[in-house]
Amino acid sequence: MRVKEELEQRGIEVVSREYGDHRELIADFGPTEDISVDVVGDTVIVVTEDETYDVEVDGSAQAFIKNGILTIELNEEGQA
Amino acid sequence: MKLTVKPLKQKDAGRGLAAIDRQAMAEMELENGDYIIIKGDSGRTVARVWPGYPEDKGKGIVRIDGRLRKETGTGIDDTVTVEKADVQPATAVTVALPQNLRVRGNVGPMIRQNLSGQAVTQGQTVPVSFGLGPLSSMSGQQIPLKIAETEPSGTVVITDSTEVEISEQPAEQLSEETAEERETPDVTYEDIGGLDDELEQVREMIELPMRHPELFQQLGIEPPKGVLLHGPPGTGKTLMARAVANEIDAYFTDISGPEIMSKYYGESEEQLREVFDEASENSPAVIFIDEIDSIAPKRGETSGDVERRVVAQLLSLMDGLEERGQVIVIGATNRVDAIDPALRRGGRFDREIEVGVPDKEGRKEILQVHTRGMPLVDGIDLDQYAESTHGFVGADIAQLSKEAAMNALRRIRPELDLEEDEIDAETLEKLQVTEEDFKQAMKGIEPSALREVFVEVPDITWEDVGGLEDTKERLREAIQWPLEYPEVFDQMDMQAAKGVLMYGPPGTGKTLLAKAIANESQSNFISIKGPELLNKYVGESEKGVREVFEKARANAPTVVFFDEIDSIAGERGQHSGDSGVGERVVSQLLTELDGLEELEDVVVIATTNRPDLIDPALVRPGRLDRHIHVPVPDEEARRKILEVHTRNKPLADDVDLDDLARKTDSYVGADLEALAREASMAATREFIGSVDPEDVDDSVGNVRITAEHFDKALSEVSASVDESTRERYEQLEEQFGSREPDSPDEGTVSRTFQ
Repeated sequence: MRVKEELEQRGIEVVSREYGDHRELIADFGPTEDISVDVVGDTVIVVTEDETYDVEVDGSAQAFIKNGILTIELNEEGQA
Repeated sequence: MKLTVKPLKQKDAGRGLAAIDRQAMAEMELENGDYIIIKGDSGRTVARVWPGYPEDKGKGIVRIDGRLRKETGTGIDDTVTVEKADVQPATAVTVALPQNLRVRGNVGPMIRQNLSGQAVTQGQTVPVSFGLGPLSSMSGQQIPLKIAETEPSGTVVITDSTEVEISEQPAEQLSEETAEERETPDVTYEDIGGLDDELEQVREMIELPMRHPELFQQLGIEPPKGVLLHGPPGTGKTLMARAVANEIDAYFTDISGPEIMSKYYGESEEQLREVFDEASENSPAVIFIDEIDSIAPKRGETSGDVERRVVAQLLSLMDGLEERGQVIVIGATNRVDAIDPALRRGGRFDREIEVGVPDKEGRKEILQVHTRGMPLVDGIDLDQYAESTHGFVGADIAQLSKEAAMNALRRIRPELDLEEDEIDAETLEKLQVTEEDFKQAMKGIEPSALREVFVEVPDITWEDVGGLEDTKERLREAIQWPLEYPEVFDQMDMQAAKGVLMYGPPGTGKTLLAKAIANESQSNFISIKGPELLNKYVGESEKGVREVFEKARANAPTVVFFDEIDSIAGERGQHSGDSGVGERVVSQLLTELDGLEELEDVVVIATTNRPDLIDPALVRPGRLDRHIHVPVPDEEARRKILEVHTRNKPLADDVDLDDLARKTDSYVGADLEALAREASMAATREFIGSVDPEDVDDSVGNVRITAEHFDKALSEVSASVDESTRERYEQLEEQFGSREPDSPDEGTVSRTFQ
């Protein structure tokens, strides 16, 4: 839950979905926002037009952005 | 792929999202954020894929908001075709603005910036947020733009290099040209927050019989004919009726009470018949009767002949010999008990749905609805506002967000040139609603259900109460804890205290404590001054008590504060001079406090100087079960009270508060306040007498209140409590202690008995 809370503290509304083996965190920045995301080691870095968010995740993560919707897939080892 | 349409949650609405369940996503090879085309019976639209809600898993559901439903021409539970969109970058688009939009300058680049990255298709309506926008009456405060033409055709995505042209024709004319009529919907289900259960009931009663009458035939029952919505004003009854009518696409007509009344004999009834005729000709239809109590009062109680006939006509229209067909009547009222009982039976109004005051979750949803189109600065925590708005109904929350927006508007007012016809597009974009705007707005709005009895929550905290540590702690336990830690009370299987009686000599701070608790407990606060409940008519005084508690229940959590309760709750069986009003008021109070109806989250605080005069039944456990003696302060307490009252005063170094506290034996809080005031008055007198009026401003910073001033004040203000009074209260305290069988005497630790 930590990643979700961390993002929410910074004003990003995040929804969380459990899919059996992994968890997804999804946030909408609106289709017009120019954003990019990168995963370096165990850190997910989201860069928007005027801000950068970086959050650490336990275990491995994949992230992609499509038309303003950010998806972070978390493969957690144990419970984060 | 065919999917079933369901409504979206309020927080996700208005962003062009379509929540699709995971399984369907996998089948169509979709990922979050992909563009999809949703095709309905009479239209198509583009949406972005959003992850489906967990409860929809495997059910083949697509959740879209009211705007998308309108564009696709579908309603809830309809089927739509969903497919992945093939989106190409647009080289040029032409957009049409609404006719009444008055914006100066070249809005093209701004629109491009707003729409950049968004996928559109010809004929689609795209809401664009231009700051607050001049169309503030529009739902969502967004400007609907119509996509007139795209280059290339089909679904395109607007990029930074797309050329945006403004169509010569306004959007309204354009929609007439395109054969399908697609206006932005008035009210959709997503515009209603916090009423999910009620809405579900209404839909079940209305939508189902309209869409699938065969279901009812199969079951061999008559479909429902009417729904009566009732609840406090401003909770969304009318809105709900409008949303239902809008979503099911039925013919909608409404009757407003006074309009059908006519001075000619028989004409009022005729107008009613006409409305019903018109509806059945256009069936399926919904007839909405707002404020139904005005045209259908109890027949036995009305004086007018017309009303009686109108009620009778309405009764026969709703369940008469003639078949009504697919016409459903929705009635709304906030005085459900004033309606003729014959209307409130099956076959007429089959179901009565109470639309109540929203809880915290509901308030959050309503806030989300009202701030959806509002340009908020980042970091505004709606949860916090949902929490601090007890007793607010939907209308109050709408008012709150409107006021906040008005505050934002006020900020840019100086930059506006009202002489100009149009407003500069850049200025519009600068408009943003800040946290401060909301805070300001909060101050000006009080819950409408509480208007009559509401007292602004006083601005007094525990810090302002000097001494009385013990008493404060007891109050906190009795009042704040049950509201703050309900789970602990649950676990211990403990009932929260219903009431607290504070007694003590005058001026010791009982009222102040009550004010502090009202502020600190974050509850609504109703203050009753005993005598104002009394009324010259028989029965009215008791009614006053009932109404107070009714309001308190409706707006829980509430603290009801009775100041000087001895004036209305004197011991029964003593007086005979007032024809028993006093006694009946006491009885009413007794039943309200511990009657059949539960008091939930309502705490009563009463204060008195004369606890011995209060009816003993009122002070037993289960009613005012905590008795707190607010004593004459001792030396240490006096010192703290003095500290509070001199906190912001410029004291000279020679003022010794300890010494003052020693000298003021028998002084109560009010006396000490007077002392501090007298001393500063003496200093002020001296200062103004000695300084040239012109130099006042310069030298005012040097004034100090010295020990001498306090000495002078001491000689003027004397203690209001003498030894005999104090002794009497000490006796009273013992008496109140012994009255309760199970009170543990904790000696000096506690002056409270429970």
